[in-house]
This record gives sequence, C-alpha cells and structure tokens, in this order.
Amino acid sequence: SDEEVVDPKATMEVTCKPKCVRQLKDYQACTRRIEGDESGSKHCTGQYFDYWQCIDKCVAPKLFEKLK
Amino acid sequence: MVTVQYSNDYKDDKNEALHTQYIFRTDVPHGGPAFHAASTGTSAHTPHKWEPGYPAAFGFGKINRFIKRGAGQRNDSKVPRRNDALKHGLNGFGSAGSKSFRALAVFGAGVSGLLSFATIAYSDEAEHGLECPSYPWPHEGILSSYDHASIRRGHQVYQQVCASCHSMSLISYRDLVGVAYTEEETKAMAAEIEVVDGPNDEGEMFTRPGKLSDRFPQPYSNEAAARFANGGAYPPDLSLITKARHNGQNYVFALLTGYRDPPAGVSIREGLHYNPYFPGGAIAMPKMLNDGAVEYEDGTPATEAQMGKDVVSFLSWAAEPEMEERKLMGFKWIFVLSLALLQAAYYRRLRWSIYKSRKLVLDVVN
Repeated sequence: SDEEVVDPKATMEVTCKPKCVRQLKDYQACTRRIEGDESGSKHCTGQYFDYWQCIDKCVAPKLFEKLK
Repeated sequence: MVTVQYSNDYKDDKNEALHTQYIFRTDVPHGGPAFHAASTGTSAHTPHKWEPGYPAAFGFGKINRFIKRGAGQRNDSKVPRRNDALKHGLNGFGSAGSKSFRALAVFGAGVSGLLSFATIAYSDEAEHGLECPSYPWPHEGILSSYDHASIRRGHQVYQQVCASCHSMSLISYRDLVGVAYTEEETKAMAAEIEVVDGPNDEGEMFTRPGKLSDRFPQPYSNEAAARFANGGAYPPDLSLITKARHNGQNYVFALLTGYRDPPAGVSIREGLHYNPYFPGGAIAMPKMLNDGAVEYEDGTPATEAQMGKDVVSFLSWAAEPEMEERKLMGFKWIFVLSLALLQAAYYRRLRWSIYKSRKLVLDVVN
C-alpha cells in the first residue's frame, strides 16, 4: 500500500488556518496573558474552542470529498 | 359564523303587524358586510312588498350582496347602529384581548431568553464539550441509503481496533449477511471465535466455534472487569452509540479524529487524554485511529479520517439497521397520505357546502 498516505483532515486543517487567523491571534494573545500564572485557574479554553470551531466549520463540508 | 346581511321591515297583508325579517347568511365570516346594508325597505335594492318572490326568496340577493358590498357602509337608524356597536364592541374586545396576550407572550419570551443567556455565559465551555460540526454523511438524505462498502470497512476497523475494549452485544453475525458480507464470509468470520455453550448431556458447559446466530463477542465478562482493565472507566457498548449521544454520528467522528493538545492552562492528569469534544475534556480512551492502523481489504488508504468515516458508518448501521426500509416506507406513506388529505379536504368541503351557503330567514312580528 501507499507509504505516503497523508491524513486529509490534517492537511485541510492546515489549509483552513488562514480563514481563522483572528481566532488564532486571540488564542495566542490569551496564551501570552496567562503565561507565568501559577494559580492554575487561568486557561484559554474559550479562545481555543473559538479557533477550533472556526476550523471545523471550514473543514467539515469538504472533508468527505477527499475520502472514499 | 352567521351574520345578518340585511333586514327588511314590512307590514303584513292585513296592514296590521309590522314584521321584521332578519336575513342570516352562513357563508360570510365574522366581520362580513353585517348590517351595513340593513334597511327598512326604503333602499332600491330590497324587494318591495308587492314584488313577487318576497319576502324570503332573496335569491337574486347575490347581485344584491355584490352591490351592497360595493355600496360600503350604510348606517341606518335603529337596528344597524346597535348591531354595529355590538359587533365593533366585540371586535374591539377581541383585538384588545389578543393584543395584550401577544404583548405578554413576547415579554415572557424575552425574559426567558435573557435568563437562559445569563446562565450560558456563566458556565464553562469545556463542561459541554466543543460543539461538533455537521459532516455530509452519504446516508443523510431523505432517500439516501447507507454506503455498504463503508459499512464493511467500518466493521473491519471495529473488529481490529475497537473490539478489544468495546462490546457490541446487541449485534449478531447474521445481521451482517447481505449488508456488509456474504453468508459464506460471515460464517467463516463467526467460526473464528469461540463461544461458550451448554450444558451438554453430561451437564457441563463447553466451547464451540461461533455460528451466524451468535452475538458479537464481548471483550470483558462484566462491567467491573471492564472498568478494572481501563483505569476505572467503562468503555461503553457501541451497539446504539450513535443514537445514545446527542448528534451521535457527527459526535463520534469528531471525537475519534479530534485528539489534540490541550489549550494553554489546561493540564490533564496521567491516565486521561485531552479531547475537546468530550464533555469535560478529559477522556480515558487514548487516540486509537492512527494512519495505517488497519489494512483495508479493498485497498483504500487507511487514513485517520477514512477509518473514522467508515467506523461511524458501521456504527450508524448497527444502531439503525432499519433506516433504508424506514425511508422508503416514509416516502411512500407521506405521498399516499398527501393524496388522502386532498381527497378528504375536497370531500369535507363538498359536504359542508350546503351549510356554508345557507340562508336563514327569521320573520319576527314586532
């Protein structure tokens, strides 16, 4: 079988990144904000979810075209 | 709804009693031309005392009605005013009542919307898990069937990747015949497993090769054993999993292919793994679908997404094997019932037509 098989979902998530730059920037800003926090109560789940929701919305309609 | 179309006063033959005829029509809804054209016999439209066909047969009233409608409001002295006031009064009450009810309903909806908004804003997103997207499943159309090749591949994925921990105790080997495999293939597959049967004539339990009628084998003998082997977490039975989870098909696919690094600030303890789609984010199951984990019989490249799609097709079939028959039946019966509805509507209107076009004459001696 083909050794070079590449997961289409992973590649599509990469190609969809430009559409979700705003959410990615928000997440990265959050990451920087909570850096060095020792209390353990700060987290960036919200921005993370926003980013991945954007990626998912971009990937989902077209993913199955790449699959058998 | 009966509405007085017009009234007519006349002296009887002996010129003694004053009769008032109230002509009621049933084909005009509430708010029709009620009493506007009521007259005391002075208008040119109503038949006079000496005319034939008077008093009751205002058959040519059709033209009358037409003219009266066009004539607009005609406020005559006594009775029309009273009835108009009554009608408008009732109308006024009705509309005021419905207006205030509507306002109350809108206010109530606004309040409940505001409250629900407030509660969502305060809860943690991770608690519900990331909302899974909608994938365009080939079997999701109103007349679409399963992709049976995908079911076959999905069963292979289940057998080689998932069956070591997840049972599917409601599915038998015979269910696969005609869906994913031929009878011979299924018999051969069933024969590979050992099944406990008995008791025999000596009263002892024995093991034998599997048959078509046997259920899928269970990886653990009971839930306690399953939990013990999986760090306290019970791998759920997958027979109905796509129906047992909200938006099951999309959820299972998103979950299986959604293992990622946790967000900044989130740490998962040893033994658990981060998955944003899982409520709470920390799932006991590790990532199981890895590229090339399975070698498909038909040569399809076994990428993570491909395996995910196939196994979810298989699980969808397992939970709803009747789907194709159901869709065919649904289409057929909705069509038949629509025709029946048209027929019933026509027949109802046919039978009601006599009552809806009735004219009642109330002849009152004043």
